[in-house]
Amino acid sequence: MSNDEILRVIEACLVEVAGDELLIAGPITPATSLNADLELESIELVALAEKLQQRFGSQVDFVGWISKKELDQIIALTVGELVEFIGSCRP
Amino acid sequence: MSTVTVNGVATHVQEIGSGAPVVMAHGLLIGSLASWYFTAGAELAREHRVRMYDLRGHGRSARPSTGYDTTTLAGDLGALTEDLPPFDLVGHSWGGLVALRFALAHPDRVRRLAIVEAPMPPSAAIDDLMGGDVSPENLLAALPESLRAAVATGKRQAARFVSTVVALVRDTSLIADVRREPTPDATSLRVPAMFAYGDRSSCLPGGRELAAQIPGAQLHVLAGGHYLHLDARAELARLLGDFLRG
Repeated sequence: MSNDEILRVIEACLVEVAGDELLIAGPITPATSLNADLELESIELVALAEKLQQRFGSQVDFVGWISKKELDQIIALTVGELVEFIGSCRP
Repeated sequence: MSTVTVNGVATHVQEIGSGAPVVMAHGLLIGSLASWYFTAGAELAREHRVRMYDLRGHGRSARPSTGYDTTTLAGDLGALTEDLPPFDLVGHSWGGLVALRFALAHPDRVRRLAIVEAPMPPSAAIDDLMGGDVSPENLLAALPESLRAAVATGKRQAARFVSTVVALVRDTSLIADVRREPTPDATSLRVPAMFAYGDRSSCLPGGRELAAQIPGAQLHVLAGGHYLHLDARAELARLLGDFLRG
């Protein structure tokens, strides 16, 4: 799966979790920030993580990845970082 | 998503990690299971099966108009954990009081109890914070600095957050339930207990008294305020890990 395909899956999961008004400002890109641009609530980020795990499988250890990050890094997460992480977990 | 119906309330639950079970409860109004998920929960999941849930009225759980007292909430906790063997229990703020209420009533169900920043006496929890004026406006003014800044932007997160808090204050018995909450008698606790409070928190004096009621209880005072899981994220996670491992 290409990075662009991963990004489109993340976009679909984001819409499932938080609604399609997220896309009003335009399509989601690698530079899109989950907090500053999309204004996801922390509980929505939990729901997104669960969706991504269901979609990509248990080798995508989102919780383990998050637990190694500082809070300000979590707050600054971009869609591109998520794509890169998911890509690195998959064969 | 894992939504289970507990005492008639659709309740959002997440479970991560594997090992001996730990159940984590969050605080009122601005809390959700994300309070633990992005802090000590993720850390404990390296060694434990960590079950976190949104209290009724919070996060992605449904918002019934009543039942925010610790007895009802401890009933929710009991129903949510019926399938588990005896477990470790961690609670922040009101979630800590819920955990204490549960451990007092069901000592056979709880291995260890960790209470973070539980307000004492419970009935004064919100009025102490807000000087007796429990309007949604004053409640928002009493938020931690970082959240206040976010709310001031008036954008999506702020709008959603404000609508949740206003709904809980105006449309549910939450404030009245807090004011009616009896002070627990912790002297009869039969479960190993740990307490953690922030050195800048107004809850610290009450926490010292609470911890002193329980023979053998550990009390840790960390650098931080009431939102200790954020202010002392790494240190609190380490302390909880050590306590639950011991």
